[in-house]
Amino acid sequence: MREARALVRAAWFTAASYRVGMIMSVLGLAAVLLPLYFIANALQATMQPAITPEARQYFAFVAIGAAVFSLISTCTTALPSALDGAIARGTFEVMLGTPARLRAICAGLIGYQLLWALLRAAILLAAAALLGANFVWHGVPGGVAVLTLTMLSYVGVGLFLSALVLVFRTTGPLAAGFLTASMFLGGVYYPTHVIPSWIRDLAGVFPLTYGLRAIRKLVLLGAPIVTVARDLETLTAITALSVSLGTICFYGALRYARRAGTLSSY
Amino acid sequence: MSLVQLADVASRDRRNDHTPLSEDFRLTPSVRIRNLCKSFPTRRSIAQLATRPFARQRMTVIQGINLDIYEGELFGILGLNGAGKTTLLKMLATLLIPDGGGADVGGHDICDDPQAVREGVAMVPADERSLNWRLSGLENLRLFAGLHRLSRKEASTRIASALAAVGLLDVGNKLVGAYSSGMRQRLILARALLAAPRVLLMDEPTRSLDPVTAHAFRRMLRDDIVNHAGTTVVLATHNAEEAFTYCDRVAVLHHGRLAALGTGVELAERFGRNRYRIWTSTPHHSVFDELVRRNLLTTVVRRSDADDGEGVECIVAGNEEVAAEVLRSLVEAGVSVTRFERATMPLSSLIAQIAATHDLERGAAHA
Repeated sequence: MREARALVRAAWFTAASYRVGMIMSVLGLAAVLLPLYFIANALQATMQPAITPEARQYFAFVAIGAAVFSLISTCTTALPSALDGAIARGTFEVMLGTPARLRAICAGLIGYQLLWALLRAAILLAAAALLGANFVWHGVPGGVAVLTLTMLSYVGVGLFLSALVLVFRTTGPLAAGFLTASMFLGGVYYPTHVIPSWIRDLAGVFPLTYGLRAIRKLVLLGAPIVTVARDLETLTAITALSVSLGTICFYGALRYARRAGTLSSY
Repeated sequence: MSLVQLADVASRDRRNDHTPLSEDFRLTPSVRIRNLCKSFPTRRSIAQLATRPFARQRMTVIQGINLDIYEGELFGILGLNGAGKTTLLKMLATLLIPDGGGADVGGHDICDDPQAVREGVAMVPADERSLNWRLSGLENLRLFAGLHRLSRKEASTRIASALAAVGLLDVGNKLVGAYSSGMRQRLILARALLAAPRVLLMDEPTRSLDPVTAHAFRRMLRDDIVNHAGTTVVLATHNAEEAFTYCDRVAVLHHGRLAALGTGVELAERFGRNRYRIWTSTPHHSVFDELVRRNLLTTVVRRSDADDGEGVECIVAGNEEVAAEVLRSLVEAGVSVTRFERATMPLSSLIAQIAATHDLERGAAHA
């Protein structure tokens, strides 16, 4: 993965050249966390009965939700936006002319953004822990495994959106729409069982629903992994489907772009 | 570090690959193009999309090109804008998929084994955008050393050599955004040289260079990259002088077809032979227009010379027999011809002449 490392390194140097943006990105975490802390504590008594199957503290519940959501947002949008930029700059076509494998190029293109998002999520959760959120540490490895699977399922969505970028140069409202729907129906700020019944079935479409529920049970309640087996099975199936379809669409779109000669059009 | 050292790397890589080298490298094709075709869908207006949503229109860019380019050859692809030069190079670099026909580059098929082709090919695009302007020249090269899967040690050596070769070693740490156009062009060449490619595809590499730098660049290309390293270079250009002076052979593309192929001397001999200069005291005689109407002359340009007086430079539409017919007609019309001689065609005019001849031949073939 020398190619991916080189791309991540270049992306780091590029990002570091925008110093103010980088500082704002870290400071922005405080703007996310502090309101969450105060609002969550204010709503603790109200939300307690609803969150009982997944957590005890509402602040820890939303902190996990916000951290996971920021990660799946990156998984969904990183590749389409990186491709969009690379096509506009003319670098994508040049990269494809090197012996670097396509999967290594894609991994490299999203690598930096993903690492940065992971760091931000880790800082957010560490700050939440300092502010009093209780995590069950022995549940963390299981939670990380489920998180990886959840992120992978959104990488599949990102591949599909990247296919749209390769063919149409835009994802339209799909990326924002899918993420917004994931946020409201996937249980980022409230458990999915409080969603009105007429729309609850739709929540089952989003991998975040299963991933977030499983992560919270593991990390906030310390539940054994068998208790989240059903969520894991569904999540694995969705991930397999999403990654397979995303990969097929992506390769198909790249072939189309190579035929149509649009790889360097901006 | 110099380009010669980088060239040694290329030669060494070649030896490591155990590639069989012909004793006469000129007989070993490095690039074989067979009946290559490419067309692109044309962009349609919103009105056209609304009225005929399923209609498909395509613009043919490359039409049935057959060509062999030999190992260690500096091969020029010459053509006017829109002739299909860049499309041809991009297909050879596996960036575009052909519609029909095929090509082997370094013994690998561009459609069946594009990955193997990319191992031995590097392309120098005409577009400066392909660099990361927020990175230094050095970091740009480090990125591509990674994409070429070079080890850290190997990358350092080659980067230093490549930067030195293009004269950017002392500004390697400067941001590319602060480079001049010429420096960016040289950095793009350095990036291509990193891979020590067997085949180097160059798309108008001297476009942004000043005349002095362009000359030095062409000499470096000829002496170090082609002669010393034995790299096959395919150079697309619309600069006839560059192609005919520096390239071993030149293919002239016109409307996506191969209009002519040969050395500069051969092409000048073939397409420049029918240019004549006629010295006369009556260059505005109506018989010249009459000869154009009779299709014996295609172009007539009146000019005067301080020493030799007035003259007419014209292109005869045919061989020596047609030239003789022109002379006879002039004499019969009472034009006093003091000299009638074949003129040397400037290289810059040769491409236009080849294109015009190709159009005439195709028109005749259609008729």
